[in-house]
Amino acid sequence: MPSRLIWFRRVLVAALACLVFRLAGLQLWEGARYRALAERNRVRVVPEPAPRGRIVDRHGRLLAATRPIFRVAAIPQEFSSETRWRWRESAQRAGTVSRAEAFARLSPFVGVPPAELEQRFRAQRTLPFVPATIVPEVTKLQALQIAEAHLELPGIVVEPVPVRDYPLGSAAAHLIGYVGQPTEEAFPVLKQYGVRPTDAVGRSGIEKEFEAYLRGRSGGSVIEVDHRARQVRLLGRREAEAGQTVALTVDAQLCSLIARRFGDQPGAAVVVQPSTGEVLALVSVPDFDPGLFVRQDRRELQRVLTDPQSPLLDRATMGQYTPGSIIKLLTAAIALQQHLVTPATPLPCLGYVQIGDRRFHCWNRDGHGPVTLREALTVSCNSYFLEVGHRLGLERLRAGFQRAGLGRRTGWVLGDQPGHLPPPSRRLTEGEATLLAIGQGEILLTPLQAAVMVGAVANGGWLMRPWVVKQIGERAIEPSAGVSLGWPRETFDRLREGMVAVVNAPHGTGAHAHSDQVRIAGKTGTAQTHVPGRPNGWFVGFCPVDHPVVALAVVAEHGGSGGELPSLIGKAVCEYVAAHPEAVSSPEEAGAS
Amino acid sequence: MRKIPWDMPLLLAAGALSCISLIALASAAATLNPSLVWRQAVWVGVGMGVAWLMASVPYPKWLDLAPVWYAGAVGLLVIVFIAGTMKLGATRWLTIVGFSLQPSECAKLAVAFLLARSLGHRSAPLSWRDLAGSALVAGLPAVLIFLQPDLGSSSILLAMWLGVVWVAGIAPKQLLLLGIAAAAVTPIGWHALKEFQRLRLLAFINPHADPLGAGYTIIQSQIAIGSGGFWGRGWLSGTQSQLNFLPERHADFLFSVIGEEWGWWGAVLVVACIGCVIWRALAIALRNSESQGRLLAAALVSWLGYQAVINIAMVMGMVPVVGIPLPFVSYGGSAMVMTWTAVGLLQSIHRFGTRF
Repeated sequence: MPSRLIWFRRVLVAALACLVFRLAGLQLWEGARYRALAERNRVRVVPEPAPRGRIVDRHGRLLAATRPIFRVAAIPQEFSSETRWRWRESAQRAGTVSRAEAFARLSPFVGVPPAELEQRFRAQRTLPFVPATIVPEVTKLQALQIAEAHLELPGIVVEPVPVRDYPLGSAAAHLIGYVGQPTEEAFPVLKQYGVRPTDAVGRSGIEKEFEAYLRGRSGGSVIEVDHRARQVRLLGRREAEAGQTVALTVDAQLCSLIARRFGDQPGAAVVVQPSTGEVLALVSVPDFDPGLFVRQDRRELQRVLTDPQSPLLDRATMGQYTPGSIIKLLTAAIALQQHLVTPATPLPCLGYVQIGDRRFHCWNRDGHGPVTLREALTVSCNSYFLEVGHRLGLERLRAGFQRAGLGRRTGWVLGDQPGHLPPPSRRLTEGEATLLAIGQGEILLTPLQAAVMVGAVANGGWLMRPWVVKQIGERAIEPSAGVSLGWPRETFDRLREGMVAVVNAPHGTGAHAHSDQVRIAGKTGTAQTHVPGRPNGWFVGFCPVDHPVVALAVVAEHGGSGGELPSLIGKAVCEYVAAHPEAVSSPEEAGAS
Repeated sequence: MRKIPWDMPLLLAAGALSCISLIALASAAATLNPSLVWRQAVWVGVGMGVAWLMASVPYPKWLDLAPVWYAGAVGLLVIVFIAGTMKLGATRWLTIVGFSLQPSECAKLAVAFLLARSLGHRSAPLSWRDLAGSALVAGLPAVLIFLQPDLGSSSILLAMWLGVVWVAGIAPKQLLLLGIAAAAVTPIGWHALKEFQRLRLLAFINPHADPLGAGYTIIQSQIAIGSGGFWGRGWLSGTQSQLNFLPERHADFLFSVIGEEWGWWGAVLVVACIGCVIWRALAIALRNSESQGRLLAAALVSWLGYQAVINIAMVMGMVPVVGIPLPFVSYGGSAMVMTWTAVGLLQSIHRFGTRF
């Protein structure tokens, strides 16, 4: 089709002619104007960072906010070049000084050696017109002094910038997370969305997971300036859009209270609302102040990062602990389910149980005598539950545990550990299998899983997915429905009776949790660890007994008996909730009642 | 048989472009990475070697290999998904023993081969069936490249397909219907784009709407070219280029450096050389009476012509910044070797084709 080829040639020639025409337009017609723009470097970018969205607790208390501070920046093209022979134009600009000179003059104002300033400048500079931050924060006084001396400091500017602020310090720190400069792996992707290398982006927790909502959209303008750096013309502008507020379900005051009660004892606590799965408190001790990462306080950061107790680790969702006796609640439920025991049948406790050729001791070596289910829960009798576990066998135990969410992630929005159950392929001896019934051996649980589990006991058999973000901007987030365990109501009534006795009977293992203000149900656990004599102490429970509004799990890492500190913390949480009924209802409901 | 010599104007124009590329790159890379020039020179050499090889073998032999080329290129594109290295937020490169290979470049040649082969013996006007089949040939790699995501390179395959079916004899009615269909699916395509690609397209419509992101590049590139005037600001003396105002100035925006430092005459010289390459390539196609060879030449012209026009238009702010390099000029090993391979193939069509 030669004629078609000729058409083809006409189109291409016409296209090339257009290009030449356009070139003439740019270079010959408008050349002088563009030459002026290029020669004088009269284009400047004025960035306008977007204020990051706030993070608030269930009552609207600020957990993370944005606060304006002053920083000192250097504008790369404002300095006279050291290689001036090369660029005739830039060398002729009057009133400029070299970068080294400018930094030397700035140094006394900010107390940073010039070499350090130069080093920071090199690390920060990105685009030619974009100011590079050389001192991240100066006081208002310093800012004023530098601004006054601006004639001696060409190329140096003081700008107000929004920085992240965590008004409540370490409260719910693991949940909130922290911000920092983007990592090298994440940056290429973030760059496409207008993130600059010096911008703060979420590095962990809610700050990271909800980065897209919190970030907003930074704006700025491109302006043409005259030789005194005054704006002549606006070449383009984009408004900054503030990030959205993320509202959490947690009560910051409750989080702080729990953290205070832990003191120096490492551990974790999770408080949930059994009817919805809302997380009211999530505490991991030791904790950290997320503001450290904003201030870049090197010594303190170094301490936090190298602390052998790993303050950055969220023990509540990532820590996996041997459950010990709190698992007896599930063992009892499974056994009732299988009709292996009835609530009234007593089993004898001789102080030990013989399984195969192994003899397992009850913690009470003298034996508890004949005990019913309720009594066995109250005194946490090992013999009773070892016997029950032996009758159940490994398969039924494992199936029941799995159904209750063990060995599986809870669906926590920030990601959590699944805990551990022996896989089906695993061959366990009879003794090892039976030990699972009392929460020892090859079984691990996160405090969050424990809270969800005890929440299911409190709400009559519904495993709720724990959720913590209730609103993003104007959009309310609906909790997902729970999954039914499919066990009859009576099963949970029996467990509840036992748990009430644990706390309220004088000889109950959780008697320290007894409160005159609110009726609490609970179960303690004291799980042996690899450190002899330093067991993990657990307390799980809920209150008030008749209409539970909170369920909680507390673990004290190597903290001794669950009847001690964990029970006391459980009591403190329940009393707080009883004293602040509005703390657990949402503000709207409180207003309505 | 009398031995037919090479088409000298084509060869000289391509060679001139490569020389201009090296000189401009020496300036653009001076404050960037001076070693780029030597690497580019090596790639020009490799490309010329491959071109010589392509030109010494009759092109029907190459066409026989078309399915193998094609399968290989598509295979490479699939591998990119699995083992590609992350660069600039998009997966476009494969690293093989230390060399970064851009499989989308290989795909261009493979598509040209297979289109020419499959439509070569069809009589005009083309049946819908032929159109669909050829669309699939170009579409499969185009989709794989689009997903990388590399909008620019996948549009090159589309342009090549259009060029070939036009020359092969698509009926004007068919072309019209296809145009209407394309307009209808455009809104769907908009949703398939990544957010940064949408921003780029919007920035093209109004560069000042996003002066910090995509619009920044266009504004700076226009300033660079415009400030060149007639005589240019001199080699190594363009402030826009030397002071880092132009991002990607060694690659997609090398033409802006030429525009700034060499001025109007330099820019027009580049356009003229490209015009010469296109003119001679079309002359080769016109002289050839054998339809596969003619279609292959047409495919290569569509590819080179489209890339050249879009790249230059892009740096002058006439079309969106989509990441298409300027053939023979922009820095890039795979692209340089592949464009010279195209020159070699054109020479082979010139030398071994049957003539009217």
